[in-house]
Amino acid sequence: MRPTDCKFLKSHEWCRIENGIATIGISDHAVSHLSDLVFLDLPAKGASVTVGESFGEIESVKAVSSLYAPVSGEVVDVNSKLPDNLEWLAQEPFGKAWMIKVRVTTKSPDLIDTAAYDAHCKAEG
Amino acid sequence: MTAGGAAAGDRRLRVLVDGPAPASWNMALDEALLELGTTPVLRLYAWAPHAVSLGWFQAAADFADLPPGTPVVRRLTGGGAIHHGDELTFALVCDAACLPTEIASGYRLLHDAAVAVLQAVGVPCRRLEHGAAPAARPGERWCFAEPGRDDVVTARGKLLGSAQRRVRRPRARVLHHGSLVLRRPSLTPFVAAVADHTDPDRAAPTLRSGLVRAIAAALDLVSTPDLPTAAERALAARLQQQRYADSGFTARR
Repeated sequence: MRPTDCKFLKSHEWCRIENGIATIGISDHAVSHLSDLVFLDLPAKGASVTVGESFGEIESVKAVSSLYAPVSGEVVDVNSKLPDNLEWLAQEPFGKAWMIKVRVTTKSPDLIDTAAYDAHCKAEG
Repeated sequence: MTAGGAAAGDRRLRVLVDGPAPASWNMALDEALLELGTTPVLRLYAWAPHAVSLGWFQAAADFADLPPGTPVVRRLTGGGAIHHGDELTFALVCDAACLPTEIASGYRLLHDAAVAVLQAVGVPCRRLEHGAAPAARPGERWCFAEPGRDDVVTARGKLLGSAQRRVRRPRARVLHHGSLVLRRPSLTPFVAAVADHTDPDRAAPTLRSGLVRAIAAALDLVSTPDLPTAAERALAARLQQQRYADSGFTARR
């Protein structure tokens, strides 16, 4: 059951916006299809991210995949423990496996709610 | 319909057969195909001069001991470094929907296709059904050093190196690199090679045509000889200059 307080991109990033700060990660669906995650590269605190552009990269089974920002703004926090604990992504993708927190200036117009994202994942297989 | 363009119901697999080229051009054209292509593309190529490619996340400093003058390039794809000597290299560029959703299943599909082609020319290889998953921080810097689950191997070792780059915008697309060793390269003498079992010069044309046929069949596509478009070549030339021929880009990690 995915949390209903998150919004999603169809590229499988989620964000939870509270008091103007978006907490961002990738969904359980993305994690299950990536499998065998081996490396995560996240931006530094203070960096800027832009809607729809890559904010990081993740490697699994020798496949490098880009991570796309659901919001624009300044990175105010980074989950620096996550790259050394990638198993968290499978355990708690919407919890302790958050990736970055961003002070939001713009939200993607492509964000969808949990029900729509559930349907998207079902259609994608 | 123009070369490289897509059409409704298009089931073509564009096949680009290139001669040996510098490492920077090979990587630049593969990225251009990923960025601009719409129809699936299978590009076969070789390396002149021979070169070392680093996986996307590898540190250039870990390769400071390479012989002076060794060309080094950074791949867009993951995994370990490869010394590209006498090998049959291919790049498959397609929408992610052309491959199984699970990444590992896509590797298995393409590796099984390669195994069938290799066995047909007398190379006794197989895909490893078991073995270690990739480590979080691989101890080995070379792609071929530690065969793992789903790798194509002979009794001597790993024969085919594979790695991918996946993008999801503007569309979900995949660049899959495959390096099939014909003769053992000097920097990685521990690898398996086609030459261990048959004359690689005689086998190469059969392997090349067999790979095209087998990959097209695995993806349910129809192979069609083609050339890079003018736009693909132009973008590749820009990427070669700005990224892959730039030592700063290679040393970015």
